[in-house]
Amino acid sequence: MITIIGGGPAGIAAALAAARGGERVRIIEGTPRLGGQYWRHLPEEDEERWVGQEKLHDDFQEGYQLRLEVLRHPNIEILFNTHVWHAEIANDQITLNIVRDSNSSQLSTEALILATGAYDRSLPFPGWDIPGVMTAGAAQSLLKGSYVHAGRRVVVAGTGPFLMPVASGLLNDGVAVVGLFEANRISRWIPFTYVVLANFSKVLLARKYMRDFSVHKVKFKRGHAVVRANAGPDGVLRSVTVAKVDRKFKVKMATEREILCDALAISWGFTPDMSIAHNLGIEQHLDVNDGSVVVVVDECQQTSVNQVFAAGEVTGIGGSELAMTEGEIAGMTSARTLGAAWSVEEEEHFKGLVKKRAAQRRFARALSQVYGVQANWMEWLTPETLICRCEEVSIADIQNAVHNLGATNIRSTKLFTRVGMGLCQGRTCSRSVIEILSKESGVNAEVEDHLSAAKRQIVHPISLGMIANSSSVEDSHHNH
Amino acid sequence: MKKPDAIILGAGIVGAACALQLTNAGLRVLVIDRGAIASGTTGSGEGNILVSDKEPGAELTLAMRSRDAWFELSDDIGGGFELEAKGGLVVARTSEDIQELRALASRQKIAGVEAEEADGEGLRQLEPYLSEEISFGVHYSGDAQCQPMLATAQILRVVRERGGSVLPETNVTGISMKDGAVTGVVTSSGAYSSEIVVNAGGTWAGEIAALAGSFMPIAPRKGFILVTAPLPQLIRHKVYDADYVANVASDDVSIQSSAVVEGTRSGTILIGASRERVGFASNFDVSVLRLLAAQAIALFPVLKNVPLMRAYYGFRPYAPDHLPVIGEDPVVRGLWHAAGHEGAGIGLAPATAELVRAQITGSKSFMDAELFSPARFYFDGQPRMDLIS
Repeated sequence: MITIIGGGPAGIAAALAAARGGERVRIIEGTPRLGGQYWRHLPEEDEERWVGQEKLHDDFQEGYQLRLEVLRHPNIEILFNTHVWHAEIANDQITLNIVRDSNSSQLSTEALILATGAYDRSLPFPGWDIPGVMTAGAAQSLLKGSYVHAGRRVVVAGTGPFLMPVASGLLNDGVAVVGLFEANRISRWIPFTYVVLANFSKVLLARKYMRDFSVHKVKFKRGHAVVRANAGPDGVLRSVTVAKVDRKFKVKMATEREILCDALAISWGFTPDMSIAHNLGIEQHLDVNDGSVVVVVDECQQTSVNQVFAAGEVTGIGGSELAMTEGEIAGMTSARTLGAAWSVEEEEHFKGLVKKRAAQRRFARALSQVYGVQANWMEWLTPETLICRCEEVSIADIQNAVHNLGATNIRSTKLFTRVGMGLCQGRTCSRSVIEILSKESGVNAEVEDHLSAAKRQIVHPISLGMIANSSSVEDSHHNH
Repeated sequence: MKKPDAIILGAGIVGAACALQLTNAGLRVLVIDRGAIASGTTGSGEGNILVSDKEPGAELTLAMRSRDAWFELSDDIGGGFELEAKGGLVVARTSEDIQELRALASRQKIAGVEAEEADGEGLRQLEPYLSEEISFGVHYSGDAQCQPMLATAQILRVVRERGGSVLPETNVTGISMKDGAVTGVVTSSGAYSSEIVVNAGGTWAGEIAALAGSFMPIAPRKGFILVTAPLPQLIRHKVYDADYVANVASDDVSIQSSAVVEGTRSGTILIGASRERVGFASNFDVSVLRLLAAQAIALFPVLKNVPLMRAYYGFRPYAPDHLPVIGEDPVVRGLWHAAGHEGAGIGLAPATAELVRAQITGSKSFMDAELFSPARFYFDGQPRMDLIS
């Protein structure tokens, strides 16, 4: 039995590959559908409402076919609406504590593939807590998953290629995109010309988006950032302030202007979800390309822990295609470690996947470097700007912790201010806190700080009653 | 940096409190910790300041003085660490437990602890959400709570303002001595000399004693704390089951647990307090969580549907006789110990610091601290190795 956590592109590819190897596969998926954030469309049973989804997403058909294939596969079982709230490993035995239908139980598995994906990275800025400001991922999910528009006049901003499909999807569904701002400059691509040429399909895709923008008369402005969100008298978003920024995101003098809008979809890249990897004590390191903490894997997507594999964004942000290649490799190799034999064709196929992965990783690395978050974003903040929305901790509170209370690392900053201790458990703010801390203390954050910020023993909230009544692995053995 | 009059090893609550006392006595102090401020046991605690959980005796005397000393300390440094005289409520279920709790409370009252029996309506008024199956409790108005990490940081801020220094993230690699007396410490960032070194190393105090060639059998006792999502106030006191007192004093190696439940200023509810003697084991044991959750729900059924948001564990420093270690080392002159407070370090810190100050400066103290002396780990000038379990 191979258990896959996460039913996104990586998990889907892993499941199909492992099942092809003759293994029984179980996917644990937190939502009621497959596809992850990437193919976050309507549930399968809503098929008649699917008409028109193509125009909201460019490789929608591929995702649709793959989802059906997984759903119909006799060797793949899917636990929908199921969360792992804590994972353990003792004496080489992997145990997953799951919560499903308001019940907590334990599952054991011979092999595990982590395909937990990533979530939107947010940067704090004045007004980011005003209703109407959301991540670009949230805006896209609303549209794809339930045909809900983020607003009537939407500004899309931040950095990265993700801005393009979000803006294009909104436009194609009739939403007015009143501004589209990329903070980084196109000249940052120059060192990566060869990578661009090697991935020309991406260029064509970008051109398709650009055509969408020109049809709808939306100007794609680079070197611009939303530096403030402004609320109206009703407390909800009324406008955003946009400014020209330099290569380090420093605001250029006298370039600020206000744009009226009722929604801001903002994206600063993604943060891999490391919680379960941390539970299992899997070796992680800092991805130098974008400063996120990622799982260390070998050529077979095997982690530092026996029988635990990882694929997709948890090994480094790289998008759905790389995720699927990694997923397929993880699926094939995990099945092989459980005894599946590879034919000559499969050996060849594996070699091809390894090559494909290398090319896709080169492209992903280029993207991370081109669309980085540059250090001077911190200058956009005012003293009262909240860094942690859950616990309402401002940047002034963090400065006080460093300069008056002697905080020297992320943990002591948390303990003195409660930053990152609220409902989201630092998922939203901890990367920002680390950057602020480094700036304030003048000491670069250590890898330890990044790792400790990603550490969450309770991966998913679970009620005390469910824990108290949870069954252990002995009395909840899964029968097939 | 000018030569310090005293070096304090450990920037947890006990080290901070000692630093403040010695600073206030006119000494120039240097506080050194290998990690960040409050990053050891202090950073994994609940902030208990309890008089309710102790039998009459030396430790209760220390606890009662310390409870008052906390409020004096708060006035001295200007607060800022959520000190709250919230009171404690100890409850019992079986008639046997009720009898025992009654007897304990009356012994404590003789010793001067404020303890009021409560049942029926009185109990509901104290804690409206308490389980209806609980019919008896004792209200201890003296019990208090603080945010221990902030307390430590605020105390050390004042120590710095008053001329002391704090060196976090600095490893102490040696204690230098001459003719059986301390002359200073060697650290990862250089050597510092001083004739007075205070060992406030908490769970790691034994390692510090060993650097000076001394013996102190302090061992870790692991404990988990569960933290719920923030809620409107449901729980007003520090509420715990009477068998907690028995657990604290237990020498059993296996796990003991009786829930200690309390609300915090930030709205979260903290649930302790498991006790395990498993060394510095870093495993996250779901069965302990299960036990604590069930016990907390037994006290407050309303907690059943409350989401657990976070859980963490720490290591209490405990001595074989469960008493703190306060006093000069029996074999190394100038080395003073202030450690081994087990789960009561936050509560006992200010009075411990007063004893340390009195002993170092040779002034009169509020109690006879003979029982806390590290000399108890020696017999006939030899370390009592039999104390290591």
